[in-house]
Amino acid sequence: MISREYEFHAPKTLNEALSLLEKSGGNAKLIAGGMSLVPMMTLGLAHPDAVISLNKVPGLDGVKEDGGVLAIGAMTRHHVLKTNPLIAQHAPLLAEAAKYVGDVQVRHRGTLGGVLVHADPAADYLPVCLALGAQIKLQSAKGVRTVEARDFFKDIMTTSIEDGEILVEVRVPKLPAGSGSSYQRLHRVEGNYAIVNAAAVVEPGKKKGRVALGGVGPTPVMIDVSAHIASGVSDDALRRVSDAAFAAAENAYGDLNGDAKYKQAMARVYAQRVVRAAAAQAQ
Amino acid sequence: MKYIGTGMTSLTNRQLAAGKGTFVADYKPEGMLHMAVLRSPYASARIRSIDTKAAEQMPGVVYVITGQEVAANMNPIFEAYDTAAMGAKGVKWYALVPERVRFVGECVAAVVAEDKWTARAAADAIEVDYEELQPVTDPEKAMEPGAPLVEPEWGDNILVTRDFRSGDPDKAFAEADGTISGVVKQHRYTGAAIEPRAYLANYDPYQDLLTFHASTQNPHPMRVFLAETLGIPETSIRVIQPHVGGGFGLKIPTFQEEPLLAYLARKLQRPIRFVAERTEDLLAGGHAREERLYYEVAYKKDGTVTGLRAKVIADVGAPSALCGWGQSFVTSYCIPTCYKIPNNRVQLFSVVTNKCPWNAYRGYGKEAASFMMDRIMDNVARETGLDRAEVRLRNYIQPHEFPYSQVSGAMLDSGDYPKALRKVLDMIDYENFPAMQAAARKEGRYLGIGIGQELTPEGCSMPRSTLLGGWDGCTVRVNPSGQVTILTGVTSPGSGNETAIAQIVADELGVSIDHIKVIQGDTDTCPYGLGNYSSRSIIMGGSAAKVAANELREKMLKVASKLLEVAPDDVDAEDDKFFLKGAPTRFVTFKEVASTVYRDCHGKAAFDVEPGLEATRYFKHPNVYHQPDTQGRFSSYPSWPNQAVAIIVEVDPETGKFKIVRYCAVHDSGVVINPLLAEANLHGGFVQGIGGAAFEHLVYDESGQLLTTTFMDYTCPTAVDVPSFEVAHQETPSPFTPLGTKGVGESGVTGPLGGLCSAIENALADRNVRLTELPLTPSRVWEAISAAQGGNR
Repeated sequence: MISREYEFHAPKTLNEALSLLEKSGGNAKLIAGGMSLVPMMTLGLAHPDAVISLNKVPGLDGVKEDGGVLAIGAMTRHHVLKTNPLIAQHAPLLAEAAKYVGDVQVRHRGTLGGVLVHADPAADYLPVCLALGAQIKLQSAKGVRTVEARDFFKDIMTTSIEDGEILVEVRVPKLPAGSGSSYQRLHRVEGNYAIVNAAAVVEPGKKKGRVALGGVGPTPVMIDVSAHIASGVSDDALRRVSDAAFAAAENAYGDLNGDAKYKQAMARVYAQRVVRAAAAQAQ
Repeated sequence: MKYIGTGMTSLTNRQLAAGKGTFVADYKPEGMLHMAVLRSPYASARIRSIDTKAAEQMPGVVYVITGQEVAANMNPIFEAYDTAAMGAKGVKWYALVPERVRFVGECVAAVVAEDKWTARAAADAIEVDYEELQPVTDPEKAMEPGAPLVEPEWGDNILVTRDFRSGDPDKAFAEADGTISGVVKQHRYTGAAIEPRAYLANYDPYQDLLTFHASTQNPHPMRVFLAETLGIPETSIRVIQPHVGGGFGLKIPTFQEEPLLAYLARKLQRPIRFVAERTEDLLAGGHAREERLYYEVAYKKDGTVTGLRAKVIADVGAPSALCGWGQSFVTSYCIPTCYKIPNNRVQLFSVVTNKCPWNAYRGYGKEAASFMMDRIMDNVARETGLDRAEVRLRNYIQPHEFPYSQVSGAMLDSGDYPKALRKVLDMIDYENFPAMQAAARKEGRYLGIGIGQELTPEGCSMPRSTLLGGWDGCTVRVNPSGQVTILTGVTSPGSGNETAIAQIVADELGVSIDHIKVIQGDTDTCPYGLGNYSSRSIIMGGSAAKVAANELREKMLKVASKLLEVAPDDVDAEDDKFFLKGAPTRFVTFKEVASTVYRDCHGKAAFDVEPGLEATRYFKHPNVYHQPDTQGRFSSYPSWPNQAVAIIVEVDPETGKFKIVRYCAVHDSGVVINPLLAEANLHGGFVQGIGGAAFEHLVYDESGQLLTTTFMDYTCPTAVDVPSFEVAHQETPSPFTPLGTKGVGESGVTGPLGGLCSAIENALADRNVRLTELPLTPSRVWEAISAAQGGNR
């Protein structure tokens, strides 16, 4: 139950939202789908003085082509990512990841931007955005800046977003034709967060590839596996990928789903699985 | 038509499926206030002082109460389970703790306010100065000398012990071909009803009547508990149970919030409602299950088990007035379940800790006994090289050996365990599984098959208990226009017993079910009864309904025979008619007979029968023995449903995750009144069993903080996480009930525990994996695989 009073604003323009954010002096929270913020408030883990909804701000959702890049509005709902033809064609990893988020109701409320700023270490989009080389576009009253996804996540539920900034767009380079990609996750029940998740991209020609892992530390980690697969995606190559994933998961920590050792071992398993699957798809 | 044995949908479907059911939170009487509770943040602490000023000054706050006022004005909460009669230790548990908190979530203070948000905010503004004490959170540490004491005046942390013996276990072990020792660990988990606990108290000072709407399973016992705790007459309380969104045992009284709310409503003379939040229910809504069962078995090389020593250590949490601790007693009572072991020693240590008290949860300790026996039978099979099914078949009590007295004094009524096991093995094609397993392995898939054997005694009847009795009552009333009203002492938590009871009465009176209305859950209108638990609603309530309806049947047959001018023995009843046997065209309608009794009692046909068509009858189960024998043993469970399950799983050995490929069950609960609803009940039981075996876990840290306080951490399976279930019924009628019914409500939760362990081990047989502890999370299975490989991965 949310027993503390707070102000609620539903601005109709981005500028209005930015100025409300500015005025709040850091004690406001932006709300998109509310799938993370509302539970945090209910449990008393977040108690903002003001909640600013982005739901009435036009132009923050949808998937557009911008040359070699997909420009995805921060307010794009999971259901759209799961079903949008441009996503399916140019960034199928996002659609794969969207399938796993919550349940039908959550997928119609929750948003891409919301997941990224919440930055739960096991969230589905985090390794996907790293593997896709996504850029995060942030806007404040002062202007716009763009951060590489791999630099965006700083710690558990901590990002490089600053007071007064709104995540407005995620820019995802289109995968070249002939690429292979795979997203897989280990979870206990449908709809829950992953224990460990992994996203891989193998480029056309199968000489270059990368894999990103979530749930194996405070932030997602990415490994360039090109050196391992350059001479073919053999069992031996996959073993080296596994070893690299194991090493990259050195900051894994235990929780109710398993201890650090288990998480690290799962990094090994899932890195191998997604690289194998992505390589099988690549031409 | 005949209704018994017909799978018909529930009479409540129309209302509930339309969303038109009425639950406690749907009641909003004018002027209603809201109660919020401040709970202990510590597992063990002394309250130095409480400052309520800030809370009292908040606008909208009506009243703030602490344990001092409660202790001065109310009795300790009346025990749901008479500890003294059971040779156990009890405590004075108040509706609010006056001095010392013993678990995180215990009620310390409460606020009544005009709205629920204000009530919550004000409760959070109460300042309590605590002196933290050292908690004890592990049952075996709690048994050690010098351990912190949950109840200092007890001198130790033992709530009750039992020690049952039969035969000569030492001799059996000395003469055995082999022995095995081990442990099984069942973790702490609980039921998670969709509707949390909810109560509405409304006091009318002019009638001196407290009306208490409760999401409860036991309106009449609840009235007793409230009356005794508040020190007011039972007749000044009316308990009404509206629709209940799931009970599973956890809605059995008595929680602190119940008498607290009743007291406040009387004091403030305004309606007050309390609806628990999910976190409150996970913290303080009753836990269950946490037990370690140490065992040693002696066996012969033909697979016969000749001796068993078992020691049950149960962590029942903090002592309270709730009936949950009895589950530990029942675990020890059920051992060695459906097996005929001549030499036994079974010990129980029921231990208190600074964790949430147990309340009843579907299974009520029976599941742990069957789980241990399943692990034992699998281990004997492994050691002797015999098949797992064969070992069970060689040790079962045989069908002709009933009634069978177990080491605890339990008197098993009837059953055919070998037939049920053989049937389920046929269903799953056990014989051909090895070929299927080998074929899958060639594709790199690890399939395994497991067996689970469940024995679920029902109809719990404990000595001198207000709550747990082997009897119940029912009123059947035929109205002048020929419609029938049934009022029951049992209640339904949504499981459909009202429909089955209507079916029983419909058959007895020969009346169509459309003419029957069932009323349950109101202490002012229904006959005294004990409500719903231990699958008793059809055993006790259905039998009482049968007996009451039979009384009316005899009376109506007599009147009908006069109207037909034949002998009563020549008349039968069906399809709303009384007719001449062999000549069904000679009949009088049910309605006409009812009318004659009411409207023509001085006339010829009804002259020599008593006016009125109403009977209240009570049924007492005959298979209960409360006179203790020389070992102090007594028989408290009259009815013994059972079930054999066979499960096929596919395991991913790299991650430890498994999925259930097939789940087959043969269930025997005696005569089944409504197969559709019985099966629906079983499906729910299977899911809760799978949830307990693999997903759900109430995790405490060493300081006694609960780490799983939301559904994000307390992982429940949903429909997409469980398989389709294949169920067959076997009917071995109870020799003791009028219809041969045995009770089905609790069944289903046990099979997955042993069955899944068995199946996973079988899938990984070449790796020699051993599973002894639940839940079977991916990491636990993975660790077991690692351990079998010497820990090198």
